[in-house]
Amino acid sequence: MQVMEAQTVHSTDLDHAREVMSRLTQAVKAQVLGRDDVIELALIALMSDGHVLLEDFPGSGKTTLAKALGEAIVDDQPAHQKTTDASGALVPIVPFRRIQFTPDLLPSDVTGSAVFDASTNSFHFRHGPIFAHVVLADEINRTSPKVQAAMLEAMGEKQVTVDNQTYPLDPLFFVIATQNPLDLVGTYPLPTPQLDRFLFKLTMVHVERDAELEVLNTWQSRRDKQNTRIHVGRTEILQARHAIDAGVYISDAIKTALVDISRALRADERILQGNSTRSLVLILPALQVLAAMRGRSYVNADDLETLLPPVLTHRVELAPGSSDFVKILRDCMRGPMEILARSTLNPAP
Amino acid sequence: MSNAMNNTLSQTTSNSPASAVKPVQGLIRGVILALACWVLSTPLTTVTGSTAAAVGCLFACLWMDRQLRTSTLLQLRAPALLLILAVGLVLTSTLTTLLVQSAVLANLLGAIVLYQSGQSLFWFALAASVAIALRHTARRHSWGAIPELLFVASAFVITLAAHQRGMIDRPYFIGDFALIRGMDPTTILMGIGVAAVLALAVLLMMENQHRRLPYNASILAVLCFSLLFYVQFFGLPTPQLTNDLGLTGTEGSGSSANNDSPFRDGENNASDREAPVAIVLFRDDYEPASGAYYFRESAYSEFNGTLLWTAENPDLDQDLVDRFPSSPIDVSNEVPAQQLRRRVTTTIGLLAPHRSPFGLDAPVRFEPAPNPNSLRFRQTFTVESLVPEFEFPDLIGRKAGSSTWTLQQWAEYLEMPDDPRYGEFARQLTATLRPEFADDPYAKAMAIKAWLDENGIYSLKNEHAYAVDPAASFLFGDLTGYCVHFAYSATYLYRSLGIPARVGVGYSVPSANRAGGSALLIQAVNGHAWPEIYLEDLGWVIVDPAPRQTLVDMSVDPQDSLQQLLGDMLRDDAAFQAFLDDQAGASAINWALTLRLASALVFALLLLAYAIKMYRVSCIGWANEQALYRLAYRAALDILAAHGIVRRTGESREAFARRVAQGLPAFQTLSNAHLSAAPGYAFDPALVMAGGHKHAASTVPEFTRQQWQLQLADMREQLWTRQRWWQKMLAIVHPVPWLQSR
Repeated sequence: MQVMEAQTVHSTDLDHAREVMSRLTQAVKAQVLGRDDVIELALIALMSDGHVLLEDFPGSGKTTLAKALGEAIVDDQPAHQKTTDASGALVPIVPFRRIQFTPDLLPSDVTGSAVFDASTNSFHFRHGPIFAHVVLADEINRTSPKVQAAMLEAMGEKQVTVDNQTYPLDPLFFVIATQNPLDLVGTYPLPTPQLDRFLFKLTMVHVERDAELEVLNTWQSRRDKQNTRIHVGRTEILQARHAIDAGVYISDAIKTALVDISRALRADERILQGNSTRSLVLILPALQVLAAMRGRSYVNADDLETLLPPVLTHRVELAPGSSDFVKILRDCMRGPMEILARSTLNPAP
Repeated sequence: MSNAMNNTLSQTTSNSPASAVKPVQGLIRGVILALACWVLSTPLTTVTGSTAAAVGCLFACLWMDRQLRTSTLLQLRAPALLLILAVGLVLTSTLTTLLVQSAVLANLLGAIVLYQSGQSLFWFALAASVAIALRHTARRHSWGAIPELLFVASAFVITLAAHQRGMIDRPYFIGDFALIRGMDPTTILMGIGVAAVLALAVLLMMENQHRRLPYNASILAVLCFSLLFYVQFFGLPTPQLTNDLGLTGTEGSGSSANNDSPFRDGENNASDREAPVAIVLFRDDYEPASGAYYFRESAYSEFNGTLLWTAENPDLDQDLVDRFPSSPIDVSNEVPAQQLRRRVTTTIGLLAPHRSPFGLDAPVRFEPAPNPNSLRFRQTFTVESLVPEFEFPDLIGRKAGSSTWTLQQWAEYLEMPDDPRYGEFARQLTATLRPEFADDPYAKAMAIKAWLDENGIYSLKNEHAYAVDPAASFLFGDLTGYCVHFAYSATYLYRSLGIPARVGVGYSVPSANRAGGSALLIQAVNGHAWPEIYLEDLGWVIVDPAPRQTLVDMSVDPQDSLQQLLGDMLRDDAAFQAFLDDQAGASAINWALTLRLASALVFALLLLAYAIKMYRVSCIGWANEQALYRLAYRAALDILAAHGIVRRTGESREAFARRVAQGLPAFQTLSNAHLSAAPGYAFDPALVMAGGHKHAASTVPEFTRQQWQLQLADMREQLWTRQRWWQKMLAIVHPVPWLQSR
């Protein structure tokens, strides 16, 4: 009886998480048209505590997407629970910030810096733009490696350190970084280890004709309706994260398949450097989120097939002469996926 | 005219989408027609020619299928097309003639090559024309497939007709293949018949237009049933074979007795009288008291109004066998006086074709024998005979005829020309007998024989053949004739005295010819006819007149070396075994047994496969509740695999279900239910063992046994409406879908 009750609660949590995600999706879809696949992946990244690198042309809706996502999240936590810094002052967290990365940008422009306050005769920390729920790091490859490193520390550790003082970021800290695939003059391309910190690298393509027309037809109404948007509470998202983490089952067979696929990739001669173990750790929550999104309480082979390409594409380095990673991935997946498929017909242990 | 043309054209055009030929179908049809062409042309041309015919036919068929819409030739009306084909054929044959007769080319290439290429060219063109005409007709008319079917059927019928009653004729290989192994060729011929029916059925099945099917099926039925009725009412037809019985050949060849008389005039010549006809191997030593071996092949015993002829009444001459043995034949009539006879076994190899087998008087059993050299021996068989060893006392004092005969038989064996002179003359000849023998049939017969021996003159030239009754013309005329005249005259004389008699036909070979060996050569000159009388409890006794005066030298040089050679050839088991080994690839494997074992094994495996197939689909009815999720899904996979729907390697179950889902939503449901119920995939089995619930958020309800079965039934139904009929047939007969389901 006890078990049954716990189960009921559990199931409601997962349904609630699903409802939160669908609300978020609605909110973003109302603003960004014709990008449903990118929205879905961005949402998965948000829910699974990852970050997204978008590779796209200017004016293709990256900012709109990040902004819509950031503004859909409202800070609903009570005052006594809010994040405070070491001095006990409240950390001002805003829903959305955009940082335009330029070659002359300094790390303190991102993280914030200690400023001398003449009235109190002391330094106090001025929070940088990174203290937000959703941060759009625009053209991240145009700034110096120093700034990139500061940004990446924040992404990896959920904290910033200025003058030996560490300031925590909000648990709901989500970065959408972009880079222009063309126009590479004067850029500092991100090295592979840094790319590894992004859950997904998404290459967007131009939206379809009908979607583009729709954008033109509705831009005014969308601009005017900005205040009547659907909102999702920050706490709701964190609860949903927890519910999904606890409620969606990843079988050993799926994990085995993941490891086997990675090993096959690393052994493939068309690949110079395979994916990291961290990528496998990062993909697990993403798989859970996708399964929950699709209304399932377990991760299946479909989820694997959907997420592996966006997760792995930027993590491997192809050998000279090979170009189509998705094809290589498909070859390497065949064996482990066959074992995975057959496993369901095996008698129960 | 143009209107009709338009009609035809529009009809063709409207038909063409429906009758679009698939490449495989076209190929199969082409191969069947090409085989028919090959079989039909084999007796008429060289191997190269018949091969060319097959190739031409196949080529034409494939070309027709390719050119369906584009070629203007095929848009022509049938008569025009036929005319073009005929003209083309005439041109080709002219070209062939020119080619073969050209001296320059012959010198250049050699005569054989030239002849072969000429044959190839002509037969290629002929077969191609026939194929084009057939295919054209088949495409144009609703009855069009009938000529095609008849063509194929005739090919098989002609092949089989040449082999009736185990006869060997072209193509030799079918009969030879069986006979040199001592097998019954009937099996092979029946196999060919089955192949023919199969080929015709394939042609029928490939018919796209269903309104043609009745035509084709009915013609096939007519063919089959006509054969049945023919055999039922007329029996199997006798093959028309030349008679190589030899000089004094006494056997006609046809069914109309009046035209073919055993009596021949001066045309008889003795040029090839030494030709070997058969070789006899004695398995037992035997030297006849009469000084000659008599081999009876048949007998003339029924009077047909003009002369004695082969009995059509089945009651007569039951001691004769009229077909060659493909399996052992026992002579139906029991030979009397077995204590006065001895069993002698002989093996006979025929060097010339014969109508029926023969053996030493009196044969009781014929068996097929392995043919050690099919190029030399037409037919080989083993005969068991009960040869008479009658002494004079055994013969004398017997009654004529048999008390077991019916009145009808008596009448038949005594019937003769309505000529009183026979009776008068016979009584006159027997009047001088001593009183104690006055009523003895054998004595009377001997008296008549003695008179004929004394007064007859042997000659191959005579004028009696044109008389109404040649025997009377001989007996009451110049008494000059050959064995047939003597035999008939004597038989009539015996019959006029009330002694049942007949004319035996076969070979008579002087016993001296054996020259001490065990082989006896029968030559054309040994062909003979002789009178026989029937004595109570003794059977047929040969009373053969031997005229002392002869106008022709019938002696031939002894052929001892040939006799020995042929005898060795027939006897030589080692050589025969070597020949067999050569044919069978020098292996000692018992092919028949191996084949039987293999087919039994295949049959057993098939049964097992079907049993597994049935079990896997039906076991969900009683399987453990816990395993249902697995077994029901496995059953669904089996059903799909039988229909050729199989998950690809590396394809996930979800992707497979999506791919198949179109028109098959039940499978998607089944697949989802299976996956969400799979422990270690959709939930943690350890948690369930500990008493927890399977799913944190159950989205798919668990199925009960009934639901699984219902879903499976749904899936079958959806599959049934989706698949085409032949796919369903294949799914039903597919023995091993469980090997492909995974």
